[in-house]
Amino acid sequence: MTETIVEFADREIALDLPRFGACTYRESEVIAFPWGLPGFATLHRFIALTLEGQEKFVWLQSLDDPAIALPTADPWQIFDDYSPQLPPYAVSSLDLARPEDFVTLCVVVVTAGAEEMTMNLLAPVVINLVTRTGRQVTLETGGYSVRTPIPRKAPPAAGAQAS
Amino acid sequence: MLVLSRKLNQAIMIGDDVRIVVVAVDRDTVKLGIEAPRTIPVHRSEVYDEIQRTNRAAAGETEQPAGEGAKVADLGGKGRKPTSKP
Repeated sequence: MTETIVEFADREIALDLPRFGACTYRESEVIAFPWGLPGFATLHRFIALTLEGQEKFVWLQSLDDPAIALPTADPWQIFDDYSPQLPPYAVSSLDLARPEDFVTLCVVVVTAGAEEMTMNLLAPVVINLVTRTGRQVTLETGGYSVRTPIPRKAPPAAGAQAS
Repeated sequence: MLVLSRKLNQAIMIGDDVRIVVVAVDRDTVKLGIEAPRTIPVHRSEVYDEIQRTNRAAAGETEQPAGEGAKVADLGGKGRKPTSKP
């Protein structure tokens, strides 16, 4: 075989998503979830999307199943005193060395009619931005709930406008 | 499913490095001791089931946003990060 090594080109890839319509991403923006996500164990590649006017939310959009997208948000936008202690398995499996290298997002559930909004503070999604690898981590301490009600008048995101 | 009978203080090995010991038996409650590498998460399955349900609800129940203008999020500069104990 005389296969030549194809130079990795970080080209734009176009998608037409059932939820969001047309969008583009680059290969370097893909986040790997080697362990899948609870409930979606076979989905391993995601991109993080935001929608115009809804910048507080980050949608984890599956590339393996375009129908699946999970809304998440920065927990500190709402719960200022949130203090997750990541268990050792999370730190080692995600290779979390420097705090500035990873980001924490929590899954949000909005019931039909937006009557109730909850956030999963028990199992944050932690993403290593350097290796672009993520995992939903179950905390062992802190007594957090899977469905923590989000107060109606949530204060606006302190860091949302920061670039 | 593999079913094994164990008496008090007897153990089961899973692979080379996970050991589960029957520590106590009291009526309908069995206490298990689990020795596993710190790289393996160990949780009661109800917790995991609940996270699964919540993820499915998040993907399913959450209303369709108004389509347009989806772009890749800038995850850097998101502000505060959790405290970890590496």
